[in-house]
Amino acid sequence: MKATNWRRLIVDFRLFGILLLMMVVLSFVSDRFLTVDNLTNVLWSVCLIGIMSVGAIYAPITGGIDLSVGSIAALSGIVANVLMNVYGLNWMLAIFITLGIGVLIGWVNGMVTTKFLVPAFIVTMAAKTYLFGVAMLVSNGDQITIMQPKEFLIIGVGKFLGIPIPIYIMIILAVGSHILLKHTVFGRQAIAVGANEVSAKLSGVNPDRTRIIVYIISAVTATIAGIVMASLTQQAFAMNATGYEFDVITAIVIGGTSLMGGNGSVTGALIGAVMVGFINNGLNLLDMPSSFHPIATGLVILIALIMNQGFSLPGAVKKVLARFRTAESLK
Amino acid sequence: MSANSPLLLECKGIDKNYNGPMVLANVDFSLKRGEIHSLVGENGAGKSTLIKIITGVTNRNAGSIVFEGQSVPVEHNKIASERLGIAVIYQELSLIHGMSVAQNIFLTKEPLFAGLPIIDINKMNRLAQEMIDKYGFDLRATDIIDKLPIAQRQTVEILKALSNKASLMIMDEPTSSLTSTESAQLFKIIRLLKSEGITVVYISHRMEEVFDLSDRVTVLRDGKLVTVLEKEQISPAEIIRLMIGRALSEDESRHRMVKKEGEVVLEVEHLCCEGKLKDISFKVRQGEVLGFGGLVGSGRTELMRAIYGIDGFDSGRLTYLGKNYVPSVEKSIAGGYGFVPEERRLQGIMGGISIVGNIGVANLDAISNSAGFVSGTKEREKADKAISLLKVKPANPDVLVGNLSGGNQQKVVVGKWLIRDLKLLIVDEPTVGIDIGAKEEMYQTIERLACEGVAVIVVSSDLPELTRLSDRIIVLRKGQIIKEFAEGVVTEEDVLRAASGIVEGGTQ
Repeated sequence: MKATNWRRLIVDFRLFGILLLMMVVLSFVSDRFLTVDNLTNVLWSVCLIGIMSVGAIYAPITGGIDLSVGSIAALSGIVANVLMNVYGLNWMLAIFITLGIGVLIGWVNGMVTTKFLVPAFIVTMAAKTYLFGVAMLVSNGDQITIMQPKEFLIIGVGKFLGIPIPIYIMIILAVGSHILLKHTVFGRQAIAVGANEVSAKLSGVNPDRTRIIVYIISAVTATIAGIVMASLTQQAFAMNATGYEFDVITAIVIGGTSLMGGNGSVTGALIGAVMVGFINNGLNLLDMPSSFHPIATGLVILIALIMNQGFSLPGAVKKVLARFRTAESLK
Repeated sequence: MSANSPLLLECKGIDKNYNGPMVLANVDFSLKRGEIHSLVGENGAGKSTLIKIITGVTNRNAGSIVFEGQSVPVEHNKIASERLGIAVIYQELSLIHGMSVAQNIFLTKEPLFAGLPIIDINKMNRLAQEMIDKYGFDLRATDIIDKLPIAQRQTVEILKALSNKASLMIMDEPTSSLTSTESAQLFKIIRLLKSEGITVVYISHRMEEVFDLSDRVTVLRDGKLVTVLEKEQISPAEIIRLMIGRALSEDESRHRMVKKEGEVVLEVEHLCCEGKLKDISFKVRQGEVLGFGGLVGSGRTELMRAIYGIDGFDSGRLTYLGKNYVPSVEKSIAGGYGFVPEERRLQGIMGGISIVGNIGVANLDAISNSAGFVSGTKEREKADKAISLLKVKPANPDVLVGNLSGGNQQKVVVGKWLIRDLKLLIVDEPTVGIDIGAKEEMYQTIERLACEGVAVIVVSSDLPELTRLSDRIIVLRKGQIIKEFAEGVVTEEDVLRAASGIVEGGTQ
């Protein structure tokens, strides 16, 4: 086995270890935790963030970021509902057109980022804002309940072999994204662009094309999440996915992906999403008020980031002592 | 050690390993007050590590350090070493852009209005200007760093060190990006520092400089001390022999044999690019090394970028392998070009990813199938092949390229092209900042490629390198071809004269 793979594995395993530790702690805290029903519920609750994360991860890998995924998801649910229940389109056709709109949104994000040289942070923040506006406009700001078609509603609430369908969608997309990143030309190119754009370009990679595809992937997975969300909640509402982009970035960062570009782990992002799910689930089981959720999530991001910097407590203590001793010796 | 000059710094039995092989083993290193002391060795010999230990950037595993009679603790750090009076003039300059010279010099120790936490800007500028004038530097305290050339920025670094009352200044490859005039200016400053009683540690791959400046030379090889040469023992050939552990053979330093004429690989006709290039025409043949000389800014790099397809051009015609050719990077690579850019760290390597990753990116066509899936096995085979072709050290394809020495990084940048069906290789400043051993290997690689029938274009500011490698040399000046030297008739002086605009019979 190769050295870097080991390192990667240890990082992934460390995450997995923390995940297991959380499970052990939570199972002591509440006897309701370690039940198939509850664990399924956790996965179900994180599947929207999970689906978005495994697609949005390519933005940080190329050194960018996508803050528009939440608004894209909200808009997709609304658009799908309008297509099906206002224009009476077949549900599959409606999904297909919604995905097409997702591709278009991603393409615009990518084009503005690459051709007009506006930082992705700004471009996607603007997209987040105006897409939210469009979603409000299309839905009149209403919280629309989706009653039909039944086939559409099955996507979110249906089960296969006792497991909700959204979980299958998340796992399939995660596997696909993992293969795309680790085993395809596109994955190599995305990593190269993030590692050193100039060098990648001189080696024959087209950084602009790569980036545009990256934002399309991100927007498409956000669209899929939006469709699943609309079906799951039986609701189309512009505020439905507000702030999801931050949960997505949280999951990606906890998973060990650097926001500076050049590396990334889809499995890590997925584990990151599940961790956030566990935290919220644990707080629910403990009957903590919901205001604790963001506090806990924020702390977890900080801890994850500090650990990813290679921080260790004994090392830190040693350093502080050394500084003290040097200061003494200079007196 | 001579007794009349007390030692400023004495390191004894320094050991260092970074959780692996020994990088330094039982190294002794001592500095006298007010001497210019060169530290030489090939890349990976342990020079940088030794400096890092002295400056507290990293900590030693064993050994003792005494500075100005005070013992330096193992858990040394950078701030403490600055307080002791040790300054490093960095290779990658550490000044803050957007700030003035004075602001940089007095950073964190700005003079304040009495008792108030407000910076006294006038006083700061005055103090800085007094320092500048005292040493006779060509600078103004209020100049903004960004507008100064590299050489002057170095001067600011030196001023900053002086203002910290440094008694030891360490200069790591200070001339690597300076012109020869600027270098001469720097040497003057170094001698001035010496006369002020400041000790200078000088690290350079340029043997003439080491020879000219040094009072003593410490030679390291493979993490061990080879010897310390006294002034009268110093000669460039001797230093090189000690550094690489053998003498350069006659063969290695002599010009290559003349070969028969091959097919034309690339022909450039009347290439023009507004403000950069004017009416450039030349041919390069199979098996030929065509050198491009000229001063920095003469349009050499711009020409290479144009024929590789990075930047467009206004008019002109390219013929590649007998066909009309409009270059683009992707087409060029697919057609058998290789390109080694000028700035290795910024343009050549992807430091944060592995050797495999770096080599794979330029060979994605060869390691993937038509559906776009990469074969991990093929990818590693390619990387292993490049590593063994160029003897990259360490020969571990999973090492991050950013952790390799300069010479090995360059091998990776070159290596990714060698495993392709290469027809034309363009190398821009192939050996900047790499050590003598790796340089020699790079030359041999280029010569071997030419023997195999590859057309090679070499751009270099290093005249011995250019004359050594090239069959023909074209000299550019202000975007134009000013002179072409045919095989075997060119000396370094000729190239320099042409590049500076001095042609037979007068100045152009």
